[in-house]
Amino acid sequence: MTEAPTITTEQQETTLQKGWIGQSIPRKEDKRLVQGQGTFFDDVRRHGMGYVHFVRSPYAHARIVSIDVTAALELEGVYGTITGDEVAIHTDPFFEMSVEPGGNIKDYALAVGRVRHMGEPVAAVCAATRELARDAAELIEVEYEPLPVLVDGEEALKDEVVLHDDAGSNVVWQGVFDWGDWEQAKAEADHVVKIDRLHFHRFSSTPLECAGALVEYDKGTGEWTIHCNHQMPGVGAIWMAPALRTGIDKLRFVTQDIGGAFGNKICLHPQFVVLCLLARKLGRPVQWTEWRTDQHTANAHGNERTFLDIEVAVKADGEMTGFSVRAIDDCGAFPRYEPLGCIIWAQVTPGCYAWRNIRVDFTQVCTNKSPVSPNRGYSRMQHLWLTERIVDIVATGLGLDPVEVRKRNYVKAEQMPYETPNGCVYDSGDYARCLDIALDLVGYDSLEERRRDAESRGKLLGFGIGSTLDSGTNNFGQSQLLNPDLQFSGNNEAATVKLDIFGEVVVTLGTVPQGQGHETTAAQVVADIIGCSPEQVNVRRGHDTWFNSSAGFSGTYASQFAFTGLGAVKGAAELLRDEMIQLAAAVLQAEPAQIELADGQARLKDNPEAAIPFMGLGAIVNANNAFLPPEFNPTLNHRYVCRPHFGVVDTEAKTGQLTLTYATQVHACVVEVDPDTGLTEIVDYAAVDDCGVRIHPQIVEGQVHGATAHAIGAALHENFVYDEEGTLLTANFYDYHVPHAMDIPPLKTGAIESPSPVAPLGAKGMGEGGGGGIHCICSAIQDALRSGGHAVYVYDSCNPSHRVWEMMQGSTAEVSR
Amino acid sequence: MSATPARDRTIAVEINGEQVELEVPARRLLVHFIRDDLGLTGTHVGCDTGNCGACTIHVDGEAVKSCMLLAVQADGASIRTVEGLAADGELTALQQSFSTHHALQCGYCTPGMLMSATALLERNPRPSEEDVRYALQGNICRCTGYVNIVEAVVAAGKGA
Amino acid sequence: MLLREVEYARPGTIDEAVRLLAEHDGARPLAGGQTLVNVMKQRAAAPDVLIDLAALGELREISVSGDTLELGAMATLTQIVDSSEVDVARPILAEVARTVADVQVRNRGTIGGNVCVNDPTNHFPPLLVAVGATMTVRGIGGERTVPAEEFFVGVYLTAVGEGELLTRISVPARGPGSGDGFAGVTIGAHGTYIVNAAATVADGSARVVLGCVDAVPVLLELDQAHEASARKAVEAASLEPPSDVHASAEYRRHLAGVSAVRAVRQATERARG
Repeated sequence: MTEAPTITTEQQETTLQKGWIGQSIPRKEDKRLVQGQGTFFDDVRRHGMGYVHFVRSPYAHARIVSIDVTAALELEGVYGTITGDEVAIHTDPFFEMSVEPGGNIKDYALAVGRVRHMGEPVAAVCAATRELARDAAELIEVEYEPLPVLVDGEEALKDEVVLHDDAGSNVVWQGVFDWGDWEQAKAEADHVVKIDRLHFHRFSSTPLECAGALVEYDKGTGEWTIHCNHQMPGVGAIWMAPALRTGIDKLRFVTQDIGGAFGNKICLHPQFVVLCLLARKLGRPVQWTEWRTDQHTANAHGNERTFLDIEVAVKADGEMTGFSVRAIDDCGAFPRYEPLGCIIWAQVTPGCYAWRNIRVDFTQVCTNKSPVSPNRGYSRMQHLWLTERIVDIVATGLGLDPVEVRKRNYVKAEQMPYETPNGCVYDSGDYARCLDIALDLVGYDSLEERRRDAESRGKLLGFGIGSTLDSGTNNFGQSQLLNPDLQFSGNNEAATVKLDIFGEVVVTLGTVPQGQGHETTAAQVVADIIGCSPEQVNVRRGHDTWFNSSAGFSGTYASQFAFTGLGAVKGAAELLRDEMIQLAAAVLQAEPAQIELADGQARLKDNPEAAIPFMGLGAIVNANNAFLPPEFNPTLNHRYVCRPHFGVVDTEAKTGQLTLTYATQVHACVVEVDPDTGLTEIVDYAAVDDCGVRIHPQIVEGQVHGATAHAIGAALHENFVYDEEGTLLTANFYDYHVPHAMDIPPLKTGAIESPSPVAPLGAKGMGEGGGGGIHCICSAIQDALRSGGHAVYVYDSCNPSHRVWEMMQGSTAEVSR
Repeated sequence: MSATPARDRTIAVEINGEQVELEVPARRLLVHFIRDDLGLTGTHVGCDTGNCGACTIHVDGEAVKSCMLLAVQADGASIRTVEGLAADGELTALQQSFSTHHALQCGYCTPGMLMSATALLERNPRPSEEDVRYALQGNICRCTGYVNIVEAVVAAGKGA
Repeated sequence: MLLREVEYARPGTIDEAVRLLAEHDGARPLAGGQTLVNVMKQRAAAPDVLIDLAALGELREISVSGDTLELGAMATLTQIVDSSEVDVARPILAEVARTVADVQVRNRGTIGGNVCVNDPTNHFPPLLVAVGATMTVRGIGGERTVPAEEFFVGVYLTAVGEGELLTRISVPARGPGSGDGFAGVTIGAHGTYIVNAAATVADGSARVVLGCVDAVPVLLELDQAHEASARKAVEAASLEPPSDVHASAEYRRHLAGVSAVRAVRQATERARG
């Protein structure tokens, strides 16, 4: 290491003044949650409600010959059924975002005429109890005629089996991104390293609470209320309302506590539309709880991506000038949120590196597997894994030191803000410093000594680095780089802050928290702005489309709460503050500049005895306002919409500001591989985070822990594996092993703060994490195997014991050269 | 409890100190009896294979997964759920420690975690980190990576 | 999660339980339910009648008589972990029980259930064969005993017939100069086994029993308790293990050798004391 790093988990000096912001206060959410008093969607009850069970396809690909619901309807306690034919009559296909051919795909709430993945819902039944609904579902007779099955993304390109006749091809979207001058970079390179193939596997965050909703229909008004755990209701409504042939305002989404989401609760619109239809048809509230096996087979997988024909241009001194790759993204049976994943990765085009010449030929295809949806690290994680694999494979191939080669190629702190070849701006960060801290935390200096010790115990020691980015605050305008006709751009989020009659400060948010502690951090921001304690600030739980503030892109996704959510809270609190000051000035017959807000009071700066408590201000406006002059009409109730500024994307050059903030995470780990079994044990692990100003350092650290655990699970175990018939072999937690407390090593964390110059509070979104753990474990396993004399490259993002063992048997010769 | 097979049974359980008697179908899982029939919704369901532990409760003082028991099997038993921990509204040291150490994010696994950890602390009041990880192996959390949960339980044992 | 309709009875005596099992077609005994209730949740099994053995206190007893450790079939894995009798007579049982699933499952799950399910990935079938256990089965016509090596007859199938009940497992106490070992590879710490092997070493010879590589535990008897002979015996067994998402047949075959060697090594070390 070139300089002695400062190890710190405490905040660094920043330019922002900190009061409550920056303190790890106890979370406001905790008291109810530790007592089992949270309210999750499945806790909501309504008189006369019916329970819904879906009939699901046992085939990955088949024609539906017939569906007979007679026997189900005869069962006592069954309220009714719905099939794909009814859905096709009463709804329109969901809006598709792609251009042709993918844009021609017809996606309905239930399978119409054909099933395209195992577990796809073909009918639904509603009954008096959960058990009865399942009994009735078993009585629904569906006749299928199996069709040839397609489970491989590369195979899909041949179009020998085509999933969607309306599209005529399995390709959803295809495009070439060419930034800088790849051909020239290649011509000028001293080495061109070629990698035949890398594969990023299918997995998902599998939130512990599955999806579901209770839906009520008001016949008199034609309005639906959806008590649910949808994490992006604004966009959910954009899909659902046109399909239901109704207006957006007819759909009210209500969320309360949500048991994790991680992106996996964005594509719930097909099931929710079925519930809306059933609630209307049966004239009663209907409730659906997804079971774990359903979640795994038919809801939300992360995008699977294969990288082919990778070429990397490298100078003699180890400088990498660019790369070229062909990417095939497998989105499963329906695009749903796709093809957005075909562009989202471009937010982090060069990863942490100063590569100026990058060419990506990107194709997304459909296969007979579960549809994908955004999944923690959505689309960027796959691409960042590619960049880290490139660095390690190049370093190994050319005999370069993995630390030095990173430091040589990282974007430097002094280059910030740094514009990438495709027009994104890395706002701040110091990757080399984060790396130094991570190295120190895992004792990099003593590595060779530990390697010898491991060898003496018959183990292969490996060291790995994962440097990654968590880009936050999505610019929906990037969708126009995929389809110039799309009418989406920018982003927004709303909040309302009001002062109520007895001095209560009440905040409503458009966001949909699932564990990120929005009630707490919003209260911290408001408390600092209006001068009170966070305890005095009541932040309403969850989202309510009708009665809380919300905006078109409301939701919790894309690592953006710190920017858009808190930006809206800050804006609304400042409006309220200004009005409280004006009101106090009027009452105290002073100038606004003489007023300060502090300790829950408005008072004269020069004479703190002359004070009005918040209760006084609230009471005057709400209950005792006759003496106010007619021209002064304070509301003490302010809504603010945070609208980040991105500018307009260039659809020709495919450039633009696709996002605004870039949190850094650098992970380092030490593993020991058992050469006899292929088992990997993580013996040391550190994650260093830089997300700018930390509103609540403990929450930030918690997100780092969580993202790391997801990455460890994905890197070693979690894998959605299909057989040739399209049967998911890891359809529940029995075969899909998620890490438990004994699987996760003690995690060390470090942090620095490089405040964002563009974010309202200098704070960057950071919840997704960027998959740093996957990159770093792959890196470490490669190092371990090489130290054991196995000349292999880690080519897959998932490396359970069997794959590691197979690598040691030399079955990866074709992978890389 | 009768030795004659039947599809519906009237069962009597003591739950969080209260006696309850109710007729249930033999096929009803204990977790659904607790959540749907008794309205105690603090006990959660996170999987369908008995792996996740979100439904962990105490039956006669032992931690068990209420999705792997039928309600009729609990006839005559004494049950404690998360709602029974802070019975007087006063958080237990463990509940307080969970908050202090940020051992919960979404809070969905938390009731099960608390019940497993409470059972551990009742048997072993000052557990080591290893003891805690071993005792919580049957409880999946997808938010925290377990770091702060383990810390919170160890700290509760130390009275911190 | 939602079971088919089922009838339930909780008899007070073993005789009554056996009678009920014999009287009702489609009746199954319900022990801890940690497997059975799960497969019923998937509707992969749907017995018509469940005969809950919970009230049969005598089936929960653990005792030592002479040189034999007697385990009631309803003894829970937690009981086995905590039992001083087990600790003295055959500690490997507690050691292995300690790694089955998790606390909650061990609190309910029974040794009888573990072996009667005979899932090829379970811990106890190979171990009980290795230690030479004897199983006592009660039917309406009376009691019979079955050696563990004849007890496991197929995937999810044992020598316990329709209308019968496993009541007791008898395990010889560990003799001087003998030792037991258990090794394998799991999916995650204390997870499901990909392959496991139990070994018992006494008087210089060894019994090695492999799990997860066939429908039933595979017994290999070694004249010499050496790692090399364990490896050779596994090779000579020409195993044809199943291939699944966690392991190819080839990998399983390889792990069988590794696990056998490790189990024999552990048992040998313990035999030396």
